[in-house]
Amino acid sequence: MTGDLPPTPGQAPVVAAGLAIGILLLAVQLWLLTVALDLYLAGRGSQVWSLALVSGLIFAGGLAVLWILRRRPRL
Amino acid sequence: MTQNGLAEARRRWRGEFPYHWDADDLASRRGLLQFAVYASGALFASTGILALLGAVRDLARTQTQQVALASQVPEASAVYFNFPDADSQAMLLHLPGGQFVAYSQRCTHLSCAVFYQPDQSRLFCPCHEGVFSPETGDPVAGPPQRRLEQISLQRDGDVIYATGIQP
Repeated sequence: MTGDLPPTPGQAPVVAAGLAIGILLLAVQLWLLTVALDLYLAGRGSQVWSLALVSGLIFAGGLAVLWILRRRPRL
Repeated sequence: MTQNGLAEARRRWRGEFPYHWDADDLASRRGLLQFAVYASGALFASTGILALLGAVRDLARTQTQQVALASQVPEASAVYFNFPDADSQAMLLHLPGGQFVAYSQRCTHLSCAVFYQPDQSRLFCPCHEGVFSPETGDPVAGPPQRRLEQISLQRDGDVIYATGIQP
């Protein structure tokens, strides 16, 4: 049964690193949101679009990783 | 890998991680990643909503409204009016020297109303004693960190119009 097999050597650190990068990107998104709020309150709402674009790219990257993982069976 | 090696690997793996994958009800890395992606979507949506609100507000800022007759505003005095909508208070200042400027009355600290005090040559927020420069709208004392929103003016003869809010 494949569930009894240990993960491929080196796989676990790669997954852990991926998760760490993901959480770091979440922090970046939170920072982007605070900058966007500051710009909005300062009356410079037109500059928020670029921040929303970057935040959207990070979100799209996360969705892509989820999609790739769902195509791969768990070992 | 030989049978003995595989058995040894299984035994060590089971010792270090005594959960069967299929019966693993603990938070998995995939579950954590899924939660992180949902949180990422929420943050993206929030930033997008701010961008949309900013765009809508910019659209509302491009209207023209008559504010006052210049001859009826004495030097070193202010006229208070609503711009760009009925809920947004603003002030037209006739500065010593003859220059007209207009600002939103909303303090950039916590949105209290700012008033012109010509005897002290300052714009004053009484809530937390914020002070702004009447000439530029920049904060000069107290907790505010951002300048007041400045309203663009246009003069046609004696009539002064508000034409928009400068970023």
